[in-house]
Amino acid sequence: MKFYAIAVYSFLYIPIAIIALFSFSAGRSASSFQGFSTEWYGRALRNPFVMEALGTSLKVAFLSAVLATVFGTMAALALTGMRGRLRAVFDTLVLIAVMIPGVVIGIAALIALVTVFNAVNPVLEALMGQRLSLGFGSLVGVHGMFTMSLVLLLVRGRLETFDRSQIEASNDLGANPFWTFVQVTLPQIAPAILAGFLLAFTFSFDDFIMAFFVSGSETTLPIYIFSSIRRGVTPEINAIGTMVMVASLILLIIAQVLLRMGAPQAKE
Amino acid sequence: MAQSRIRALLLAPAGIWYLALLVFPLIVVLIFSFGERNPIGGYAPGFTFEQYANLPARFAAFRNTMTLAPLGTIAALLIAYPLAYYLAVKVSPRWKTTLLILVIVPFWTSILIRSYAWIYLLGGNGIPALLETLGLGEFRLINTPFAVLVGIVYGYLPLMVFPIYVALERLDKSLLEAAADLGTPPWRSFLQITLPLSMPGVLTGSVLVFILLTGEYLIPALLGGGKVFFVGNALVDLFLQSRNWAFGSAVAVALILIMLVIVALYTRAIKRFAYGARRDDAGLI
Amino acid sequence: MTKDNTPITRQKFMEEFRRYQKGSITRRHFLGATGLGTAMAVMGGAVPGLMPGRARAQDLGNRVVLATWPNYHDAANFDMFSDATGVFTQVNVFGSNEEMLAILQAGGSGWDVFVPTNYAISTYVEADLIEPLDLSKLPNYDPAAFDPRFADAGTINGTVYAVPKNWGTTGIAFNSSRTGGVVDSWKTFFDGARDQFAGRVMVHDYQLTTIGNALVYFGHSFNSVDPAELADAERLLIDVKPHLFAISSDYQPSMRNGDAWLTMCWTGDGKQMNDDMPEIGFALGREGGEIWSDYYAIPKSAAHREAAYALINYLLDPDVNAREVLAHGYPVADARTNALVPEELLNDPILYPAAESLNALEFGAAVTLTDPNRAELMARFKSA
Repeated sequence: MKFYAIAVYSFLYIPIAIIALFSFSAGRSASSFQGFSTEWYGRALRNPFVMEALGTSLKVAFLSAVLATVFGTMAALALTGMRGRLRAVFDTLVLIAVMIPGVVIGIAALIALVTVFNAVNPVLEALMGQRLSLGFGSLVGVHGMFTMSLVLLLVRGRLETFDRSQIEASNDLGANPFWTFVQVTLPQIAPAILAGFLLAFTFSFDDFIMAFFVSGSETTLPIYIFSSIRRGVTPEINAIGTMVMVASLILLIIAQVLLRMGAPQAKE
Repeated sequence: MAQSRIRALLLAPAGIWYLALLVFPLIVVLIFSFGERNPIGGYAPGFTFEQYANLPARFAAFRNTMTLAPLGTIAALLIAYPLAYYLAVKVSPRWKTTLLILVIVPFWTSILIRSYAWIYLLGGNGIPALLETLGLGEFRLINTPFAVLVGIVYGYLPLMVFPIYVALERLDKSLLEAAADLGTPPWRSFLQITLPLSMPGVLTGSVLVFILLTGEYLIPALLGGGKVFFVGNALVDLFLQSRNWAFGSAVAVALILIMLVIVALYTRAIKRFAYGARRDDAGLI
Repeated sequence: MTKDNTPITRQKFMEEFRRYQKGSITRRHFLGATGLGTAMAVMGGAVPGLMPGRARAQDLGNRVVLATWPNYHDAANFDMFSDATGVFTQVNVFGSNEEMLAILQAGGSGWDVFVPTNYAISTYVEADLIEPLDLSKLPNYDPAAFDPRFADAGTINGTVYAVPKNWGTTGIAFNSSRTGGVVDSWKTFFDGARDQFAGRVMVHDYQLTTIGNALVYFGHSFNSVDPAELADAERLLIDVKPHLFAISSDYQPSMRNGDAWLTMCWTGDGKQMNDDMPEIGFALGREGGEIWSDYYAIPKSAAHREAAYALINYLLDPDVNAREVLAHGYPVADARTNALVPEELLNDPILYPAAESLNALEFGAAVTLTDPNRAELMARFKSA
């Protein structure tokens, strides 16, 4: 059993280790190791395209995660304890959002937005000299639409398990609903909100397929990596990949710690 | 009254967001699927069932998806179950969290980078070269269905381990102890107690992985060399190469319908396996 | 724009240049050693729009987005361009005219300059996606210097929409140590793919050459849209598919690491591989195939139009263009540039095949790009 576990962990980590190993290769070839060097890290960090793509990815991930967290949490608060048709509609929307493949969401958003833009752009151009086009806005919009569903599910999960008698007690003591929310509800769901934010951020930062369709003139880091892989590779990609993996790892650890903090009842 | 107004206000942003970037785009896809291909590419309005009639031209892509997705799911399940069992039942609590996090870490690193690693490993200078040196003959692994399968299992294994682990973790160990006290051999108590009780986790994991695989694009694109096509790849090809938006929309609608059927079957299966009030919160991670 | 601005010999320049390309010296050193830094400043003064006083640089903005093909530029040229103008070039790489067209049609490509092939240009004009070029902003474009065979397709109904970049052929690259010699026919290519080269052959990821060369295999025209002839090609392609290594227009990595032995290949890529690995050769298919010419064009949606003109103008400068040729190995149709390119390159049999072997080749026809049957055939082939 133990050996089996070791084998599976090796399967999970050897490919990652190889990526990291070759990022320290001195040669140009990404397929044979030619002496130790950190040159490719320097190159990746100096490469303005990489830095710009990284900047775009971080901005999109941050903004979409903030919006998704705020709106997702609001919706989760409203939906908890709610019944009726509206609840059923929202449940269906969330289900559709998380179930439909990213490639379909990306393509659907692309053709819908392009159709709308083509219709309104002549008017806009005549009135204001501006045109709508795919880019930062559509990236934030599509990523946020998807990650909002994740936040909603996470926060609603927490809301449904926590002890409602505290709210009732607070209300009985004459606190107004807003004060009850700030004093009682928010502290309870804060870890779920933060975890949702990190999840949303990581998803947006890693997403390739939706961005592939709606990024317009923007290049995110996964799109940059994808086209680099397609046009043949140098260890620079390995260096970028290793840095991204380490960064994701740090985020993940933070998310875990936060979740644990909020869930003292979780068994160790 | 005031409460319902607050509710409406809280729901409004999310509702508008869904309407603009989920509902509306899907309606556009549905409308386009009844249209025609613009002669120079793109969409031309129309009302025809031609695109749906042409779906058999993508039969191979649907067949590939519907064989490799279940195969990948089963392979991931077979590899994941023993590991989840080990983590839930055998490992000391001290190590449990660490080992569990170690399973999830790869899942939260870019699938692009992880698939790229397999381009190395399965390419001519990787495992095939190793096998050749060992005198096992000449192998070609990259750009084959096998390579795609490896990439799939590698990509989604963590997603399978986690729900099964959660289900097994909840297993009441005193049940097993009681069975052992009664002289039940371990394999029998596994089959009669552990396995049935872990079924919700198995189902959740399988469906999650299966759904994601059905819409997969990246892994076949990177490890299949343009030869192993999933529906996702056929879809991208229709929009980015042959520029047939109408037919592409029909393929997308067909794909969504397939997913709906899967989810419906899953919901029924879960209901059948419903053990008490067991909540299924494992599907999120 | 004379060579006199460069105070070192051409040979010395090339030595320094190769060292720079290999990365053993920095750009600063390179610019200093070759006098290009000063040359750049002088040139900038001479050529409007290339280099600047501050006001000028502001007009250009600080960025330009170029959509082009794999292995098709010299990165050092972009560095020099941004040194000279403050405009920073973002290079996006694509593998087919179909993909470029699809992205432009979808709108919001963000491109300022892109590189369509001869047969695609009329479709862009028809779809109102590219703008007529203002030749007054391209003083480095001298139509008289260009071989009209490779410049004509840029002019539609008397209006210039695109200016020539490079021309070339689509032939066969083969790893002779694995194929046991030269492969110079599509018959051997497709038959071998199912036989002695099984699992080692690559075809392009777009319709024109993949279907075209399959048509040529049967003795049909490279550009045929005749349903019966296309049916022949489809039968062949579907039959060959299980034995292919990959369907991809990025064949260099797989050819170089030995995974693939045989591929459809463009001139310059053949030259690049041949330079680094002499066992990889390049030959034209005896039965025929494609001769092509690529162009620079500006999409209507370009956001940085002035920078786009400046970039095209810069790349058409014979000195710059000569450096491009040295880096990518594609011939240019510009006599001024060829005067600066080393003699041995002009005699290279890969770049300049014997005239009679060119006779069998055909330029791609516009109809292939828009013919729904060819598009759907290619899509069926890929998803089969």
